[in-house]
Amino acid sequence: MIDSKSFVSYLERNFQFISGVPCSYFKAFLSLLASNDNDSPLKHIYATREDEAVGVACGAVFSGKRVLVYMQNSGLGNIGDVLTSLAQLYKLPLLLLISYRGLEPDRDFPEHSLMGELTEPVLKSLKLPYWILTEDFWESTMNLALQEMEAISSPVALLVKKGVLS
Amino acid sequence: MKGFEVIKSLKEFILESDVIVSSNGNISREVFHHLPQPQVYLRGSMGLPVSVGLGLALANPKKRILVITGDGNFLMGLGSSVTAAFYRPANLKILILDNNTYYTTGGQPTVSSALDYPKFLASFDIGYKYSKKANPDQIKDDLSKFLTSDTFAILHLNIDESKEDLTNIPWHPEEISKKIIVKIAEME
Repeated sequence: MIDSKSFVSYLERNFQFISGVPCSYFKAFLSLLASNDNDSPLKHIYATREDEAVGVACGAVFSGKRVLVYMQNSGLGNIGDVLTSLAQLYKLPLLLLISYRGLEPDRDFPEHSLMGELTEPVLKSLKLPYWILTEDFWESTMNLALQEMEAISSPVALLVKKGVLS
Repeated sequence: MKGFEVIKSLKEFILESDVIVSSNGNISREVFHHLPQPQVYLRGSMGLPVSVGLGLALANPKKRILVITGDGNFLMGLGSSVTAAFYRPANLKILILDNNTYYTTGGQPTVSSALDYPKFLASFDIGYKYSKKANPDQIKDDLSKFLTSDTFAILHLNIDESKEDLTNIPWHPEEISKKIIVKIAEME
C-alpha cells in the first residue's frame, strides 16, 4: 500500500483543490486529509454526485487552479456529459482518481461487476488517457499523468485497484 | 416579466470583475447578447451551473460570481445547491429564472411547480434567500439587494415564458475558456 502521508503530501504539493465522492479504496488518504483539513493548503469540496465534483473542479480550473477529482468507477456512469460537454469541450485539465472495482467476480459486490468489465472500454470511448496506479511507481505515474494533462489541456484518469491506497 | 427582461435589468449592476455562469440554451444566449462579455457561457453541462459557480467562488473569494440558471437546469443539479449552501461562499449569488418549462427545447413542462421554493430556500441556513414573481416595478431593487448582499444568496424569480430570436454564441467553447482564464488572471 502507498504510504498515505507521502500521497497526501504529493497532493498538497501539486493541487490546490480536491473534490469527489468517496470509495472505501480511498479511505486511508481521505481520513488523513480530513484530519489535516484546517491547515492543509488543499481545499476539499465534498460533492453529492460525481458530475457535480467535476463541475466544481471546472470552476476552479477556469481560475488557474489544479484540481484532483476522486470517485468510484461506478461514478464514471455519471460523468459522461460533464466531460464531453464541459471539461473536454472547454479544454480544462483535470486529474481523475478512479477506484477500479469489480475486477474479480465477487458475489458480495455484484453491483460493481459490470462496471468493472466496462471501466477501461468506457475510458477509451471517452478518449480519456489513463494509467493504472501501482504501489511501486505511483509517483512517476502521477507525474506522467499530470504532464499529459497539461499537454492536452484536458482531463486524464488514474485507476486504483484494491489495496493500493487503502 | 420575461427572462430576458430580467437579464437586461441586471446590466447596470454587473461589475467588470464579476464572473457570470449562465445555463445552457436560451439563458446563455441572452447573457451573451445583453450583458458585458466575456462570461462563462455553458453550452452543455445541463444541471451543472451551480457547481461551476461554486468552484469559481471558492477559487476567487474576492470576485463576485453570479449563476443564472433556469428551473430545468437547477432541478437537474438540485444536490449542488445543497453543496453550495454547505460551503455558502459570500461571493456566490444564484439567480433562478423559473418559467416551469424547458423553454429552449420547445416549452415542455418541468416539475418545478411541485417545489415550494420559499419553504425550500427557508430550510437553508444562508443570509439571503428570496422567492417571488418578477415584477418590473421592483426588479431593480430586488436585483440590487440580491447582488450586494454580504452573504451567499439565492433569488428565485417566477417569470413568463419567452424566447428572443437571438443568434447562437459565435465563440467556440475553447475561445470562451481562453477569454475567461485571461479575465480572471487579469482581475486578480
